[in-house]
Amino acid sequence: MSELAIGTASLARTYGAIHAVDGINLSVPRGAIYGFLGRNGAGKTTTIKMLLGLIRPTAGSGRVLGMDIRSHNVAILQRTAFVSEKKTLYPSLTLCDLVRFSRGFYPTWSDSAVEKYARLFEIPMKQRFEKLSNGNQTKVFLLLALAQGADLLILDEPTTALDPVSVDQLLHVLAEDTLDRGCTIFFSSHQLEEVEQIAEYAGIIDHGKLVMECRLDDIKSEFRLITAAGNFLPAQISSQVLSIDVEGNFRRYVVTKDAEGFAAGLSRNGATVTGIVPLSLREIFLHLVRKEMSCTSGNVGATPVHLP
Amino acid sequence: MYFWKCWRDTRSFALVFLVLAASAMPVTALVSKGINLQEGFGPGAFLSTFALILFVVALGLGTIGAIQEFTDKTAHFLFTKPRPRFYFVWAGWVVGCAELLAIALVNVLTGWLTLAYYGKTPLWSVLFGLLTKLDIAGVLIYTLFVYCLTYAMTVVLRNGLKGLGASMGIIIGLAMIAAAVRARWQVDVPIPVEHFGSLPIVASNLIWIFVALLFVFAAQLVVERAEI
Repeated sequence: MSELAIGTASLARTYGAIHAVDGINLSVPRGAIYGFLGRNGAGKTTTIKMLLGLIRPTAGSGRVLGMDIRSHNVAILQRTAFVSEKKTLYPSLTLCDLVRFSRGFYPTWSDSAVEKYARLFEIPMKQRFEKLSNGNQTKVFLLLALAQGADLLILDEPTTALDPVSVDQLLHVLAEDTLDRGCTIFFSSHQLEEVEQIAEYAGIIDHGKLVMECRLDDIKSEFRLITAAGNFLPAQISSQVLSIDVEGNFRRYVVTKDAEGFAAGLSRNGATVTGIVPLSLREIFLHLVRKEMSCTSGNVGATPVHLP
Repeated sequence: MYFWKCWRDTRSFALVFLVLAASAMPVTALVSKGINLQEGFGPGAFLSTFALILFVVALGLGTIGAIQEFTDKTAHFLFTKPRPRFYFVWAGWVVGCAELLAIALVNVLTGWLTLAYYGKTPLWSVLFGLLTKLDIAGVLIYTLFVYCLTYAMTVVLRNGLKGLGASMGIIIGLAMIAAAVRARWQVDVPIPVEHFGSLPIVASNLIWIFVALLFVFAAQLVVERAEI
């Protein structure tokens, strides 16, 4: 049995000339919580939809729970719970109706989980879906996913519209209840704090490319921002160097391992290393996806103003 | 589960038409006698009422039976349930078909009783007359054709009103084209559910049933290939 809950190889999806997902290689270990990060339109939802068979890849392959995403779609869905970014459901159905509707699809369905999470999330069971607040509508989706007893939980922006208390409850449920029974959680989010709070692994996607995938513990222990000044500084991204920002005569390197060794190498080449500092996930995310950072001006992109 | 959901979506419509189907024949009989439109309530009035009700029901069920499930807004929820997509297409179709048949059955039963009452003839002879003199099977097959066409159009266009419009357009268009071809070139173009040339009636009816089912297969192909 594959050790990966989700594994993709050069998975791609294009729309005409647009590369929505551009050959990504995801590795999500079984039993892990994996935060899938990216800006709006980075390709997160497209990737998730390909994993679930809602859209077809144009190239590459993928396996979910050891099964091929092209040929075993129904078997994958049998063991996977999904919360879409679009939190819309049949407006006239109550939560009771939705439970009744969903129950029959899953042999592992748990009515006790429905009761538990309905109480925890304080969702009115007999109110029509359309009458619920946005937050409660999101909670209904989460409840239906959690009650499935799935081996894999795929959540696309699960905390949208939730208040801070509900977000905290959800993260608690994900981190404790679901992991206790060996469930893998793959969730996309913009909220870096949430990912840092519960995830063990993180992947960052930008313009359809997976620009980073690692353990969060590695970020704390290994990842460093090295600032150096000098001529003839290396300008190539490598397996050790995640990104390079240029600012005047300075270069800032996000290094994934052996930061001391990399800094020593720079020094040997005549550079002056002015700092080696640890990085948070947020800082790495901003380095990788905020393109202005790599420019020489702090105000790049702004319309030039010509004063008289 | 999904059958229940389909029934839940269409039950108001079906129940209204079930009541209408139950009362239409006696009411038509009363009106026919009251205004001396014809000699009481006869087989002709029976067939007209039967065909009219089923035509409306077929259009209605074809429209509302599918569209609620295949809109973009809820498709991501439905199509991430562990069933092949053809299951959803055919389950919705089966529920609509069952409702259509129930309405047809109630309509025939009340018509049978009404004819027996006004004709002062034994029930069995009225039933025998209905089955032999009236083209009940023809009406049912035509209704199936309309239902399947509307259902498919609604699924393909992912919009109830557009599906209904397209379906009615095709039905009217076919009749007009056939009439024009007949008038211009004296060539018979069969329209639902006319006989195909010299084929026996059973074979013609089977062909029309097959054509009707092809629409649902087409809808299935579209849904299976749809990206959400």
